[in-house]
Amino acid sequence: MDNNKLQAKDFITIGIFTALLFVVEFACGILGFIHPYIVASYVIMIPIVGSVPMMLFYTKIEKFGMLSIMSVLLAIIMFVTGMGYLGAPLIIGAGVIADLIAKSGGYKSFKKTVLSHGVFCLWICANYFPVIVTADSYRKNLVDGGYSTEYCDNLFRAINSKTIAVLLILCFVFGVIGAFIGKAVVKKHFEKAGIV
Amino acid sequence: MTDTIVEIKNVTHKYKGAACNTLDSVSLSIKRGETLLLCGASGSGKTSVIRLINGLIPHYYQGTMTGEVTVNGLDISKTQLYELAGVVGTVFQNPRSQFFSVDTDGEIVFGPENIGLSPEEIRSRKEEIVSQMNLDKLLDRSLFELSGGEKQRIACASVAALLPEIILLDEPSSNLDMDSMKMLHDIVREWKRQGKTVIVSEHRLWYLKDLADRVICMENGAIVREWTGSEFADLSGTETKNFKLRPVNINEHYLALLSDKEKEGSIDHHFSDGIRLKDFYFSYHRKPYILRKREFTAADGDSLSLCIPKLDIPKGKVTAVIGSNGTGKSTFLRCLCGLENDCTGVIASDGKEYRKKHRIGFSYMVMQDVNHQLFTDSVEKEVLLSMKDKDVNRCHEILNTLGLLEFKDKHPMALSGGQKQRVAIASAIAAGAELLLFDEPTSGLDYAHMEKVGELLHGLAESGGTVLVSTHDPEFVEECCDCTLRIKNGRVVSFEESR
Amino acid sequence: MALKLDPRTKLFMIFIVSAVVMMSATTPLLWAVRITMTMIPIFLLIAEKHYAAALRFIVLYSAALLISFKFLSENSKGFLSAFLVGYCSIIVQFMPAVITAWYVVRTTKIGEFVSAMQKMHVPDGITISLAVVMRFFPTIKEEYSSIRDAMKMRGIMFGGGNVTDVVEYRMIPLLFSCVNIGDELSAAAVTRGLGGKVKRTSVQELKMGGADYMLILMFTAALVFFVVFKYMK
Repeated sequence: MDNNKLQAKDFITIGIFTALLFVVEFACGILGFIHPYIVASYVIMIPIVGSVPMMLFYTKIEKFGMLSIMSVLLAIIMFVTGMGYLGAPLIIGAGVIADLIAKSGGYKSFKKTVLSHGVFCLWICANYFPVIVTADSYRKNLVDGGYSTEYCDNLFRAINSKTIAVLLILCFVFGVIGAFIGKAVVKKHFEKAGIV
Repeated sequence: MTDTIVEIKNVTHKYKGAACNTLDSVSLSIKRGETLLLCGASGSGKTSVIRLINGLIPHYYQGTMTGEVTVNGLDISKTQLYELAGVVGTVFQNPRSQFFSVDTDGEIVFGPENIGLSPEEIRSRKEEIVSQMNLDKLLDRSLFELSGGEKQRIACASVAALLPEIILLDEPSSNLDMDSMKMLHDIVREWKRQGKTVIVSEHRLWYLKDLADRVICMENGAIVREWTGSEFADLSGTETKNFKLRPVNINEHYLALLSDKEKEGSIDHHFSDGIRLKDFYFSYHRKPYILRKREFTAADGDSLSLCIPKLDIPKGKVTAVIGSNGTGKSTFLRCLCGLENDCTGVIASDGKEYRKKHRIGFSYMVMQDVNHQLFTDSVEKEVLLSMKDKDVNRCHEILNTLGLLEFKDKHPMALSGGQKQRVAIASAIAAGAELLLFDEPTSGLDYAHMEKVGELLHGLAESGGTVLVSTHDPEFVEECCDCTLRIKNGRVVSFEESR
Repeated sequence: MALKLDPRTKLFMIFIVSAVVMMSATTPLLWAVRITMTMIPIFLLIAEKHYAAALRFIVLYSAALLISFKFLSENSKGFLSAFLVGYCSIIVQFMPAVITAWYVVRTTKIGEFVSAMQKMHVPDGITISLAVVMRFFPTIKEEYSSIRDAMKMRGIMFGGGNVTDVVEYRMIPLLFSCVNIGDELSAAAVTRGLGGKVKRTSVQELKMGGADYMLILMFTAALVFFVVFKYMK
C-alpha cells in the first residue's frame, strides 16, 4: 500500500478542519464590522480561537501535504467569497513552509508543531492585503473630502503598509501561544476522551 | 462459480486500543441471493461483521485480525476498498453523516463518478434507479432539508447506483418512523426480488420478519444462535427476551397506534392533579411585524405548526408522544420546554404559571443526540454544571442511582452511547426540573438499553416527576409508557391511558 | 427564464471584480464603470430569482454610496460623521466583490463547481477536500444550533460570564461532532469508491454559451478601461 500518498480519508479530514477554521475566521470577521481596530486584532483572536481545531488537526496529520492543501483551500475560499487573491501567495507559502517544518519533526514533535502553527497563522494577514492596497488612495479621498489628516491616520494606524510587518510578527507570536493553549485543550478533552 | 458469495472463516478481530476481542472465531457463509438478518445486543459484533464484508475492517479501522474473508471470490485482505465499490454496497445507520454531497442528485451519482463511469452511463443508471425507487419527488433537493427517512432512501439509491451484488445495511432504521420503516422494508423486498444478497444488522426486528431467509444472533463477538426465516417469525416475546432482543411480534394495537392508522380518539381528558398547558400556538413562519412582535393565536388556523389550546398531562406518569416524523412532535417538545421563545404557551402547575423563558427551569429536555449536550471534561462536572448550588453530595447521589458513580472522573465522551445518555439524564435530574422531556431516547438502542431507559423514566415518574417521551418504537410504548398522546399536524388527536 | 452561466465565467467575474475593488475610483467616469460592474451581478441575481437579496444589496449599496458622497462633499467634521463615512466608504469599496461572491455562491451547485475545477485540471485531492468544505458549512450550522439549544436548556449560554467557557462550551461539542461525522462520512465515502486510482468523472457537463462569452468580454473590457483611465492619463 502506498503509505506516503494521501488517502480519501485524509482529504475529508482536511475539508472538515478547513471548514471549521473558516468558521472561526468568519465569526471573528463579523466582530470586525464594529471598528477597524478589531480588524487589526484578528491577529490575536484567530490564532488563539483557531488553535483548538488546528491542534486537533495536527494530531491527525501523518503525511506531507495536508497543511499545504488546507492553505490552498483557504486561498480558494477567500477568492470565491470576494476577499481578494493578493494574499494567496502568502497563504500558500505559509502553508507549505508550515508543512515542511512539521514534516521535519515527523508530525510528532511538539516543538516543531508549535513552530509550524506559528508560521501557518501568517495566512491571517492575507485578510489585510486588499485594505492595505486600497488604503492610500482611500485616505487621499477622505482628506480631500475634508477630514482631518489626524482622523484618517488614526483610522489606518493599525493597518497599513508599515505595520504589516508588525502584524505578521504578532500572528506568529500568537500562533505559538495559541499552539500551547490548543494543545492544553486537546489534552483536557480529546485525549482524555480517547479520541486522539 | 459456487453459490456461496460471502465466506468468513474463523475470524478473530480486535480494534486498536480495545481491551477485548470484538469478534471471536466467527465463521459464516452466505449464499448468493440470501437475505440475512444479524441481531444481538450493542457491542455483540454485528457491526464488525458488516465491516468485515465491506472491507472497512481491516482497511479503514485499524486493529489485529486473524482468519480469512472472501467476498464474491475476492480475498478481502488483498483487495483495496475502491475495488470493492461495485461489489459490496453499504447503507449506514446515521442518515446525517453518510452523505457526501449537499443535493440529492449529486449524492445518487457520487459512487458512479468515483469509479470513473462515463457521464452517459451515469445518467442512464440514475434514471433507472430513480424510476425503480420512485424518487422523482426527491430530485433536485437539498439533502439538509430532507427528513431522516428521505435521507435514508437517498442513501439506498446512492448505494444501488453502483449495482452491487451484495448490499449491507447497518442498523438502517435506527432514526426512522413507522412509515419510513415500511418504505425501507419495501426497498429490501425489491432488492431481494432482484436477486441481490442483502445483509441487515438491526435492533428493530419486527419489520423484517417476512423478509429474512435466515437470522443470526450474536453475543460477545460470537454467533450464538441461528434461525430460519419462518422459525424467526414465530418467536414469542419471552424467547426474544431471553436472547436480549427486541420483540419480533408486536401487539397489533401498538403497531396501528404508531403507524398513524388509528382513528382519532378522544382528547377530552381531565386530571385534577395534572400539569395544564394553555394556548400553545407556534409556527416556524414568523408573522411579519414592524415594531412589536405579533404573537400567534388560535385565529392563525392552518398556518400553525403547533396548535394546542388546552391539554392536561398527568403528573407522576410516563406519557409517550407519538406521531410520524414532521408532524409536530419535536415542535411540541421544543415549545413546551421554552426553546421556542416565540411560542405563547403557558404551563400551569400547582397554581403557578410558567411562560416564555420561565418554562426552561420548570421543564428540561434531553435531546436525541447526546453528543451535543455534554460540555465539560468529567462526568461529575457535567452534572454539577446543571446545579445552581453545586452540591457535590447530591451529585454523587444522582450518579449512584444511575450507576455512573464509578465513571465520575472520566470524560463524558469516553463513555458508551448508553452511558452518555445516562449522563445527560443525570444532568436533567440535577437541574431539578419537574417536567422532563425526552426526544426519541430509544432510537438505536438494543433491548437491554431500551428496558433500562424505560426503568429510568419510571423511576423519575415515581419520584414525582412528570415525563413526556417522544418515540417511534411500538415495543417501547407497549412496555414502558402509561399514557399515549398522539400528535398530527401539530394538533393533539388522541390521548389514552394504556394501563 | 433563468440565465444559467458557466461556473468558470462566474469565477472569472470574481477575479475581475476583486481586482477592481482594490483600485479606488477617482473620477465620475471611473465611478460609472464601478457602479455598472456592481449592477451586473445584481441583475444576475434578479435573473436567478433571488429578489430579496438583490433588493437588499441595491438598498445597502445606494445608501452607502449616497452617504459617502454627501458627507465627503460637505466638509463635515465630527466623530459621528467620520465614523459613518468610514463605514460607508468601506462598504462602497468592497461591496461589489461581496455581491459578486454572494451571487456565485448562491447560484452555483457544488457539483458544477467541482466539475469546473476538474475541467481546469485541479487535482482530485483538492476538489474532494473543497467539496467536503462546502458540505460541512451547513453541517456545522446544524450542529451548532443543536448545541445552542442544549446550552439554553442548561442555562449556560453565557458560561457564567467567563469568556473562555463561552468559547469552550460551543467549540468542544462542535469539534467532537464534526470529528465523528467525519469518520462516518469517510467510511461511507470509501465504500462507494472514493479514493480509487481512476480519474473521477462528472455528470455535470459544462458548456460556455453566448452569455458567458459576452460577460467575459464585458468584464475584461471594464478592467482594461478602468486601468487605462486611472493610471495612463
